[in-house]
Amino acid sequence: MTRRKIDSTLSPGFYYFSGNEAVAEGAIAAGCRYYAGYPITPSSETMERISIRFKDVDGVFIQMEDEIASICSVIGAVWAGAKAMTVTSGPGFSLMQEGIGYAALTETPLVIVDIQRAGPGTGQATRVASGDLMQAKWGSHGDYQTIALSPWSVQEMYDQTIDAFNLAEKYRVPVFLMGEEAIGHLRERMEVKPTVDIFDRAKKPGAPPFGTNQDDGIPPMPAFGEGERLLVTGSTHNEFGIRKTDDPEVHANLVTRINNKILKHRESIIKTEPYYLDDAEIIVVAYGFTARSSLFAVDRLRKEGKKVGLLRLKTIWPFADGIIHQIGRVAKKLFVPEMNRGQVRGEIMKYVACEVIPYNQTNGDIIHPHEIMKQVRSLL
Amino acid sequence: MGELKQIRFCGFGGQGVVLAGTILGYAAIKDGKWVSGSNSYGAQARGGSARSEVVISDDPIKFPHVIESDILVALSQSAYDVYIKNVAEKGALVIYDDLMVQPSHLRGVQQIGVPATNTAIHELESKQVANMVMLGASVAITRIVNRQALISSVIENVAERFRDVNVKALEVGYKLGEDHCCPE
Repeated sequence: MTRRKIDSTLSPGFYYFSGNEAVAEGAIAAGCRYYAGYPITPSSETMERISIRFKDVDGVFIQMEDEIASICSVIGAVWAGAKAMTVTSGPGFSLMQEGIGYAALTETPLVIVDIQRAGPGTGQATRVASGDLMQAKWGSHGDYQTIALSPWSVQEMYDQTIDAFNLAEKYRVPVFLMGEEAIGHLRERMEVKPTVDIFDRAKKPGAPPFGTNQDDGIPPMPAFGEGERLLVTGSTHNEFGIRKTDDPEVHANLVTRINNKILKHRESIIKTEPYYLDDAEIIVVAYGFTARSSLFAVDRLRKEGKKVGLLRLKTIWPFADGIIHQIGRVAKKLFVPEMNRGQVRGEIMKYVACEVIPYNQTNGDIIHPHEIMKQVRSLL
Repeated sequence: MGELKQIRFCGFGGQGVVLAGTILGYAAIKDGKWVSGSNSYGAQARGGSARSEVVISDDPIKFPHVIESDILVALSQSAYDVYIKNVAEKGALVIYDDLMVQPSHLRGVQQIGVPATNTAIHELESKQVANMVMLGASVAITRIVNRQALISSVIENVAERFRDVNVKALEVGYKLGEDHCCPE
């Protein structure tokens, strides 16, 4: 893997983008030059902007016939050497799951942005939810690890899209940006800095592109056309990509390695932000848009002298088990507001012994700060 | 802590309240402020009562939606009736289109009528630009952003073939706002 600093594709300064537009600009800044997708509310503005902006950067944009074709096309482009992305919402994310499993096993670095809307099924296309978090973890079959990020502002839609590409390249893994309708359609001041830090997949001609039995790290990645013999298969394969569909050792080693390459680097992947944790008796754990409501609420409650804190999750997967375990030991209670039926609360409960109070709202609306204040006050 | 202002534009879908909010938000960025903006989306924005919210602050914004509006700009009666219930308790200012809205009597809320639609039809010969007349008047009354920032925001956000009429509407509106009333 190599790291380099490049000039931003936009002039440095302040912009008034929507979250979805910011994703398009973040992708371009990160070096994404291939996009295959199928438009879906509430994510379509990214695709629209990419279709216009790719002309400026010699990118390739293609509208596919559906989301299954979109993810497959992106995988192909990545093996041809491109950095590639697709953007969708819940129903499209469901269709992509087979391709995501293929990308996980073939260690294909790519970015999928899911602007979550109210599901299941077609649900409410224009309404917000964060119900796809477990799908980002367990959506495809078999055991694999991915990385999922949770932006809370338009700035982070830009920054975390860049991060998503960098993480994908570093770890050769699909990375999900788990946006929400309320952030996708929010407009905010967004800063573009003069330069961007970029990571590129490692190249090592002749080295096996799928690791070795001993290695727990991330193998280098050749592309088609670079002169190497390259086999890419979604079946179990050895380090040279040769199918080994009946060898228990090869399968065990491969599955272990693709999991461990993420889990062993979890400390550098996981990102959280603490607010007022020091003496907090009740700690709100939140992510995405709900963390904005939570910060407002916690700030107000602190002004009233209440010992309340907030831990904000910037990454959902791998899960921030270490810090959750720590706050679970010092806080009396954790309070977890979510726009789903308690997906992250269930995960938190694996790592703490204290009480974890859920607040679940699945009405297609954001969770209002006053609701959080009311709920937390009732716990004090 | 610096100042934080919550502004809500509302009207029928199609009156251009979303564009008005976007132009105001972008102007505030040009003024060096922090801004968060959100709009009605989907079917709401195409008929019914549409709204556009802008939060403008000297500091980073924690919660990006309007909780209660300090400034409510109303272009239709039905939207006025909905959002008048959600203005700030202290010091709220309501600016309404005097052809479209019959304001209710409210204690402690200053309400100012602006002949936006009337001016758009008779002076600018385009009913569509009532939103820009209203935006210009609102900015003149509240001074929430700098006039020049507002004009350049319109120039950058409106398609070229509609640019002149929108800028003109904004300037006519600004003048109306200055003449009509200027609370200090």
